[in-house]
Amino acid sequence: MKPAARDWALVFPAQALLTVLLFVPSLYVFWLSLTKSTYGQSPVWVGLANYTAVLSDPYFWTATLNTAIVVNAVVFGEFLLALAVAMLFAGWIPWRRVMIAVVLAPYAISEVVAVVIFKYMTEPYAGPVTLALKAIGLPTLDWAVEPSHGLAMVVLLSIWHHLPFTFILLYTALLGIPRDLYEAAQVDGAGAWRKFLHITVPLLVPAMLVALVFRYIFAFRIFSEVWLLTGGGPARTTEVLAVYLYRQAFRYSDFGAAAATGWLMLIASLLMGSWYIWQMYRRMFAHGNR
Amino acid sequence: MGTVKRRWTAHRARRWLTQALRMLALAAVLVWSGFPILLVVFSSLRPPRDIFGGGGSLLALTTRNYTNLWQRWPDFFGNLANSLVVALCATALTLAVSFMAGYVYSRRDGRLLTASAFYMILVRLLPPIVLTLPLFPAVNWLMLNDTRTVLVVLYCAFFLSLGTWIMKAFIDQLPRELEEAAAIDGAGLWQTLRLIVLPLSYAGLIATSVFIMVFAWNDFLFAFIFTAVDAKTAPLVISEMVGAIDGVDWGILFAAATLQLLPILVFVILVQKYLIAGMTAGTVKG
Repeated sequence: MKPAARDWALVFPAQALLTVLLFVPSLYVFWLSLTKSTYGQSPVWVGLANYTAVLSDPYFWTATLNTAIVVNAVVFGEFLLALAVAMLFAGWIPWRRVMIAVVLAPYAISEVVAVVIFKYMTEPYAGPVTLALKAIGLPTLDWAVEPSHGLAMVVLLSIWHHLPFTFILLYTALLGIPRDLYEAAQVDGAGAWRKFLHITVPLLVPAMLVALVFRYIFAFRIFSEVWLLTGGGPARTTEVLAVYLYRQAFRYSDFGAAAATGWLMLIASLLMGSWYIWQMYRRMFAHGNR
Repeated sequence: MGTVKRRWTAHRARRWLTQALRMLALAAVLVWSGFPILLVVFSSLRPPRDIFGGGGSLLALTTRNYTNLWQRWPDFFGNLANSLVVALCATALTLAVSFMAGYVYSRRDGRLLTASAFYMILVRLLPPIVLTLPLFPAVNWLMLNDTRTVLVVLYCAFFLSLGTWIMKAFIDQLPRELEEAAAIDGAGLWQTLRLIVLPLSYAGLIATSVFIMVFAWNDFLFAFIFTAVDAKTAPLVISEMVGAIDGVDWGILFAAATLQLLPILVFVILVQKYLIAGMTAGTVKG
């Protein structure tokens, strides 16, 4: 059925909110990125100067490199862990509902509290994880001093925090695989590894791709974890792009450079989501509608 | 021993071994996900000087940290109230807006409508921090800085796309016959929505509310940028406790963290079923 005027009225509040609060501002960011402006000054057109300034700033490249490392480590580390946990949960598990509740629990925790927990656990003198690492003779995480340890901590924290999302997507997809496929493979004499490689993986690919794309887009936004854990320090060595942008805008009041960074991040987000966007486009337009 | 071993076939021994390894892996998963949270809740009940491994019985529990929190950070309870008000209002607003839009996307079609749905998905991919740049001066200009209103509206804007998508997926599963019968009986669109579709969509409404509740209750970024004094939410104040100049008081920090995390954790566990359905509806299903 074609939408009538009253149907459009029902869609209007959603579309209006999105347009006013997200779409128009994102265009405004683009305009801002072509101007020089700070608090209390009217913007002056500078063309692409902000982009050249940002792209020649070594801190921008540190932030870009850190973001690339953190995002990839988080997304793939989390993906492999979630896949393993989903496989484990697809088999027999005692008290299933309770077990799933425990795995989902980190989803309910705020970034701030997650940072508090991880800071406490790795506290250099008495944190439980530090003590445990010392007891078995492993090096401890000196995230406040050592930049690579700071980033490692951010990665661990993010994986801990977002495992529930990836786990649920893969777990529900695993449950959707018909059991008789495995039984048929069993009859044909396939071992566990071959069943995994030839049945589980191919049938799981769509869910895997969705999980990866969504996690890429969301991991790319990472701000609070880094800001609260290391603040980008020591000496701006652990900054990620969102922290770099925040510092440009709200500490140095250089809105032009921040906007240029922001527009670059926006394009990167859309590129990472392009596969998903394309899939959605095909599904929504190509087959007519349903 | 030897006779017992011989009685087992190799096959049964291997099955026993894999089962044991699986339970071991399960235990590891539970520790990984659950231990950090338990640690906070448990530590908040220990005497302040015992928190840092300084010995003391594990059973010597106290509410001292909570009374200290009450005395040293009396405003924290107001901040928790802010969080609650913001989360509830943002949820109500998002539910209303996405229910209406989700219904139309489920029941009507047409190129322009599809295009507008596609636009909703696209906008969802924009990184929030980028949008704070233009929103910050706009919010100042509207004198909405440091109000709960600005948080409610922003949380809603960032989640109504997901909400609409979840609502559409759930409404897709409802039979159309009831609506058609209501239309024949002369019910208007608004009546049909309110009296027939709304009560049947409770699962989708709960699923949507989990995401927005969790996000609004826990958010740091927007509260950090858009609030200063009056509208501060609990996560923001906890972050200030971590950075307190006179050193971190872990006991107070754990008490505050526990008060912040327990309500939402209980909520998520209670609606677990809907959260799982919503996650798949919001991403995989078209």
